[in-house]
Amino acid sequence: MMEFLSNPLSALILLPAAAALALLAVPERNGALLKNLALLASVLVFAVSVRLYLGFDPSLAAMQFQLDRPWLPAYGIHYYLGIDGISLLMILLTTLLTPIAILASFNYIKEAQRAYYICLLFLEASMIGVFAALDLFAFYLFWEGMLIPMYFLIGVWGGPRRIYAALKFFIYTMAGSVLMLVAILWLVSARHAIDGVWTFSIPALYGTPLEHQAQFWLFAAFALAFAVKVPLFPFHTWLPDAHVEAPTAGSVLLAGVLLKMGVYGYLRLAVPLFPQGAAEFAPWLAVLGVTGIIYGSLVAWTQRDMKKLVAYSSVAHLGIVILGVMAFEPAAVAGAVLQMVNHGLSTGALFLLVGVLYERRHTRMIEDYGGLAKSMPMFSVVLMIVMLSSIGLPGLNGFVGEALILFGSFKVYPWLAGAAVAGVILSAVYMLGMYQAAVFGPLRHTENKILPDLSVREWLYLAPLLLFIVLIGVRPNPLLKLAMPAVNNYITMSQRQTAPVLPGISLSVGRGEEK
Amino acid sequence: MSPETITSYAASALSGPLLLVLAAFACLLLPLFVKALRGTQGLIALGALVVALLFLRRAPSLELNLFHGALLLTPLSAYLWAFAMGALALVVLLSLSRPAAPEDSQGEYYFLLFMATIGFMALVAAGDLFTAFIALELLSLPVYALAGIRRSKPGLEASYKYFMLGAFGSGLTVMGIAILNALYPELSFAALKGASAPALAQAGFLLVISGFAFKTALVPFHMWVPDAYEGAPTQVSAFMAAAVKAGGVVVLWRLFSLFEGGPVLEVFWWLAAITAVTANLMALGQTSLKRLLAYSSVAHAGYIAVAFFGGARGFGAVLYYLPVYAMATIGAFAVALALEKDEKGPKLDDLAGLSKTRPWLAAAMAAFMFSLAGVPPLAGFFAKFYAFAGAVNSGYTGLVVIAIIMSAVSMYYYLKVTVVMYMKPAPADQHPEPLGLTGLVIFLMALGVILAGVLSRPLLTLAIEASRWF
Repeated sequence: MMEFLSNPLSALILLPAAAALALLAVPERNGALLKNLALLASVLVFAVSVRLYLGFDPSLAAMQFQLDRPWLPAYGIHYYLGIDGISLLMILLTTLLTPIAILASFNYIKEAQRAYYICLLFLEASMIGVFAALDLFAFYLFWEGMLIPMYFLIGVWGGPRRIYAALKFFIYTMAGSVLMLVAILWLVSARHAIDGVWTFSIPALYGTPLEHQAQFWLFAAFALAFAVKVPLFPFHTWLPDAHVEAPTAGSVLLAGVLLKMGVYGYLRLAVPLFPQGAAEFAPWLAVLGVTGIIYGSLVAWTQRDMKKLVAYSSVAHLGIVILGVMAFEPAAVAGAVLQMVNHGLSTGALFLLVGVLYERRHTRMIEDYGGLAKSMPMFSVVLMIVMLSSIGLPGLNGFVGEALILFGSFKVYPWLAGAAVAGVILSAVYMLGMYQAAVFGPLRHTENKILPDLSVREWLYLAPLLLFIVLIGVRPNPLLKLAMPAVNNYITMSQRQTAPVLPGISLSVGRGEEK
Repeated sequence: MSPETITSYAASALSGPLLLVLAAFACLLLPLFVKALRGTQGLIALGALVVALLFLRRAPSLELNLFHGALLLTPLSAYLWAFAMGALALVVLLSLSRPAAPEDSQGEYYFLLFMATIGFMALVAAGDLFTAFIALELLSLPVYALAGIRRSKPGLEASYKYFMLGAFGSGLTVMGIAILNALYPELSFAALKGASAPALAQAGFLLVISGFAFKTALVPFHMWVPDAYEGAPTQVSAFMAAAVKAGGVVVLWRLFSLFEGGPVLEVFWWLAAITAVTANLMALGQTSLKRLLAYSSVAHAGYIAVAFFGGARGFGAVLYYLPVYAMATIGAFAVALALEKDEKGPKLDDLAGLSKTRPWLAAAMAAFMFSLAGVPPLAGFFAKFYAFAGAVNSGYTGLVVIAIIMSAVSMYYYLKVTVVMYMKPAPADQHPEPLGLTGLVIFLMALGVILAGVLSRPLLTLAIEASRWF
C-alpha cells in the first residue's frame, strides 16, 4: 500500500482525491476552513510536483518515476504510471494552476462551497492522472472521469446559461470519446491476436504492427476524441459556451489544462500508436489548426464579451499548437509543447483578470468599461503584460513558442505557416482593441471611477503567473531542455513505418467474420 | 471429492432455497393462526434471508446433477443464487421501510416475492428447456400478481398488461419447446449443444428465444416494460428490473451459446442493435422517473445482449454486469420510493433542488445515474467496458459502435436527472420524510456503484469463475 504514496506520481493523484474526501468531513457552514484546507491541499500537491521536477533527469529519454502494479489482471489492466518531459511540464502546469484557481474562488463562490472545492480537487486528481497514466485503460478512466467534476463546476456554479453549457460540454466530449474506447478495445484485441498477450500498457502497444487501413480508422477514432477536446475547428462549438458560463476557476482550468489534454493525446497516443494513420491525417489536421487560427481570431475580433473573446482566442492559440504538433519537426513540436505551457499561463491569467473585473462590476461587456487605467492602474499594467504575452511579444513567453512553431512548420507546410502568421497578427488586433476600449480613454461610467485596484489576494494568485510569463520569455531553455528528449521520441515514433507482420489482421466492422 | 462431501454440499446448497420456501409459507400462513405475528411478515422474511445469506459458501468447482439433470448445481448457479438472495433482501428492506402491499395483503406479498425468487433460482440452474419453462412460469406468475397487489388502477393496469404480454411470451416459448421436442427426444442444454439444427429447429429456437426476450425486455418485446414499471409498486419494479431481467438473460445466454453462427445469431445481432437504439431514443422524452428507469432497463438489456457476442469472456462480463446494474437500478428505484407521493412515482421535476434539500440523497442518485450512463470511475463504466471488450475481441466491432454511440446518447437523459437535482431551484414547501431503511439501501447501493468499479477485481474474479460453468 505504501508504494502508492511513496511514488510521487501516484501520490500526486491520490493526494488531491484524499483531500477531497477529507473535505466531506468539514461542515458546510465552516466556509473559511473549507477554503483554506482546499488551498493547503493544492499547495501541498504543488510542493510534491516540485519534488518531482527536482528528481527528474532531463537527459533521459525513458519514462521516469514508473510505477506498475496489476489492477485487473483478467483484462491485462495495470495501474501503470510514468512521465517524460512533456507530461512533467503538463503536470507542473496543472499543480500550479489549481491552487491559483482555488485562491481565485475565495470570494466568488458563496454557495455550496464544500461541493465546489471537492469538485476542484477531484478535477485536479484526474487531470494529473491523464498526464501520468501509461496504461490505456487508466488513461481513459482519468480522461472521462474528469467530466463529472467539470460538469458540476459549470452547471452548478456557472452563469445564466450554465445548464445548456454544462450539458453541451459533457455530451460533446463524451460523444467524441466513446469511439476512442472502441478503438482502444480493438487495438488491444489486435495485439492479443498477434502475440497472445493482453496488455493496455502504452509503451508496449507502441509499435503494434497494424495494417494501413486499420491505422487509418484507429487514428481517426483517437483523433476525433482529441480534436473535440483541443478543440479543433469545427469541433470547437462547446468551448465558448463552456468558458463563458463556467466560474472563473473553471475557465482557468478548462483553458489552462483541459484543452492541453487533447494536444497531449496526440503527442502521447494518437500519433505514436498509429504513425501511418497519422501521416495520412497530419496535413488535414494542420489545415484545421490553421483554419482555427484565422477563424478563432476573426470571431474573437467581433466579440463584445471579454470572456468570449478570450475563449475564441484559445481556439486560435490551440490551432497554432496543432500546426506545430502535426509538422513532425523538432523545433515545431518543441515550440508546441512550450506553447501549451504558455497558453496555460497567459490564458489562465487572462481569465483571472476578467474574473477580477467581473467580481467588481458583474459585467464582462467591453463597453461597460473604459478608462480603467485611471481607477485601476496596477490592474492595467498586469493586463498589459499578460495580453502582450498572449499576443506573442518578444521578451515574453508567448513569443518563443509561436516563433519556434512557425519556423519549424514552415519547412513542412510553408503555405500553412504563412497563413498562421496572419493569425498571429490578428491576435494583436483583437487583443489590443479590447485593451484600448477597456483600459484607455475617458472613464465613461461613474461606477468605474471607484473600482478598487488589485487586492493582496489577487496579487498572490497573479504574481506566480506573471513571474513565469517573464521568466519563460527570457529563458525558455530549461523548459525546452526538459521536453526535448520526449519531443525527439515523438518524432522518431511518428516516422516509424512498421510493416504489418500479420496482414490477416484487418479491421472487421461486420459481424465477426474476420480476424 | 468423496460422495459424503458431495452429498453435504448438495444439502447445504439446497438448504438456501428450501429455507426460502419455508419462509414464504411462514409469511403466508403463520400470521393467519398466530394473531401476535400479524404485521411481522416482513421481519420473518428478512430474518430468513439473513440466515440464508449467512450460510452462503463459496461453491466447489464441480457440477452437481440433480433430478436427472433437471437442476445443475455449479458455481454459476451458486453465484446467481447469491445474487438473487441479495436482491431479494434489498427489496424486503425497501418493503419494510415503506410497505408495498396493503395491510391485509402483507402475507401474500412476501409469499409471492419469495416464490418468484425460487422461480429465478430454478430458472438459472435449469438443465433442460422444460425445467426452464416451468421455472419461468414460477418466476413470472407471482410477479404479475405483485404488480397489482395494491388493487389500485395503475397497479391493475400494469399487472394486466404485463400478464397479457407475458402470457403471449410464454405461449411462444411453449410452442417453440413443442417444436423442439418433436425433433429432439432430449431437451437438456447439453444434448442440444451438439445437435444439428435443421430449419424447423431453428424456428423452434427462435420462438423460445422470443419468449425469454419478453422477460429480458429486448425490443420489440419490451412493450409492457414502461407501464408495468410505472404502475407496479416501486419495490416490485426494482425487483423486476434486477431479478426478473437477470433470469431471462441467463437462459438467453444458454440458448445463444448453442450456436456458432447462422440465422439465430443474426437475429440476436439485430435484437441487440435495435434494443440499444430504440430504448435510448424512447427514453429521451420521458418525464416520469420510473418510466425513465424502465427504458433505461430496456437499454441495458441491449448492452447485455451485445456482451453475448464476446463468447465465454463475454458471459463473464455479463455476470459482472448483472449485479452492477442491479445495484444502480435498485438504488435509483429506492430514491424514487423515498420521493414518491403517489403510485406512479415522482416526476423528474419533483427532484428539483434535491441537492439543496437532501444533499446526500442527491449525491447518491447522481452516482446511480452516472453509473447507469457508464461514466468512469463508477462501476457502470467497468461493466460496459468488460461487456464491449469481449464483443470487439470476437470481431463484432460494428455492433459495439452502435451500442456505444447509443450509450453516449443515453448520457442526455441520465444527465437530465442530475440537472434537475443540482441546477434547478427547490420548490418552497418541502417536508422531507425520514428515509429509514430505504436510506440504508440507498447508502449500500451508492457505496457499491462507487467501489465495485475501481475495485472490481474480487467481483470480476467470481463472475469469470462462474462463467466457465454454463
